[in-house]
Amino acid sequence: MNCQKAQQLFDDLTHERLAPAAAAQVRQHLADCTDCRVLEQRTGRLQRLLALKRYERPAPEYFDNFLSEFHGRLLTEARQIGWWERVLGRVDDFLAAESMRVWRYSFTSALGVAAVVGLAWMGLRQTGDPAVAAMDQTTAASSSLAVTETMLPPPHSTPQTIAASLPNLLSASSADYQPVSVGSVVLVSAPARTDSSTPRYVLDRVPVTPASYDVPSVHF
Amino acid sequence: MKLKEKLGLVGAGPRPTGVPVPATECEIDLRHEEDEALVRRSQKGENAAFDVLVERYKERLYATVYHMTSNHEDANDLVQDTFIKAYKSVQSFRGQSSFYTWVYRIAVNRTINFVKRRKNRNQYSLDDLDSSIQSDPDLVEMQSHATPRREVGLNELQEKLNEALQKLSESHRAVVTMHDVQGMTHADIAKVMGCSEGTVRSRLFYARQQLQGLLSEYL
Repeated sequence: MNCQKAQQLFDDLTHERLAPAAAAQVRQHLADCTDCRVLEQRTGRLQRLLALKRYERPAPEYFDNFLSEFHGRLLTEARQIGWWERVLGRVDDFLAAESMRVWRYSFTSALGVAAVVGLAWMGLRQTGDPAVAAMDQTTAASSSLAVTETMLPPPHSTPQTIAASLPNLLSASSADYQPVSVGSVVLVSAPARTDSSTPRYVLDRVPVTPASYDVPSVHF
Repeated sequence: MKLKEKLGLVGAGPRPTGVPVPATECEIDLRHEEDEALVRRSQKGENAAFDVLVERYKERLYATVYHMTSNHEDANDLVQDTFIKAYKSVQSFRGQSSFYTWVYRIAVNRTINFVKRRKNRNQYSLDDLDSSIQSDPDLVEMQSHATPRREVGLNELQEKLNEALQKLSESHRAVVTMHDVQGMTHADIAKVMGCSEGTVRSRLFYARQQLQGLLSEYL
């Protein structure tokens, strides 16, 4: 057994917490090593000196009021609660009174109405929300994209109509396309359609009135 | 239940609800119960059970805290604070350690924090020595031949011991107090301090080296 190991076991040897074999080894080391023996003796004297502090204690009656003092402190801490808890407590007491029964229901109803009004007001406020604005922008961009189809030949077109629409495509310049950003996506829109642009479909040329939707007047 | 009662603002007599009731006849039976049973009762709101725990451990906790602070008023305040903290937190006590270890840990941690804040204020209580110390064999031996140069006065010895302990770091002082003064085992100290037994042994070794230098004239 080396010195370091033996010194770690001094306490256990003193308090008889070592197994007999280990205790014998430590004792053997102490018999052989002068430094460890001196250290062990000094440690023992220090422990006995420190143990004298066990006598340093107050008189037994010192603790007589300990429990009542503990209760007093708990009471004090219970009283030191937040102002909002006090307000809630007072409101609760006020509403709990028998004479306040009618007022209790009135107060509850008023609270309910206030909550509904508050929620409605918050809903109205959210209409100006940036997220809503972004949604509107997306809708606008979609309609713009739809307009790009005006540059394409209409469905079921004949070669002549396709050829007729080509100048429109060729005349479109990059300046006519305005990028629209929606979140992280950038959409490229087509030039806005004006009233003077070419009708897209055959039915576009037909003036539509409510009467034109009458089944008897439609002939395909 | 009314809100006031929930908050502990009203109750029978001068004590609010939620505050332990004074010792009663039923408490006599509780005194024979184990810590675990008393803790379970406390968790169910039986405040008399917590009173028994306070009575059971107040002096041991007081002794440890006193030896770390060397001041009776501070020790009393800290032990009161410890039990208040334990009372408020008893619902969260899961029984992973014994109640004694748990409450001891609260006390030691609070005392270490307190002593750190109170670095420059050293006040010793020098008038509370138990008279039975005069007949202690270790003291008799020390007075007779351990200090041949001069007589060891009891108050002087107490003062020197306290001064030496106050010069240790908070964690070293806690370990020395628990082991050499209170007689706790390394394993128990490790649980209280939340460290390994090896750390406890190491702290004890270095603390003793420092104390041997500070108290060399008495060794």
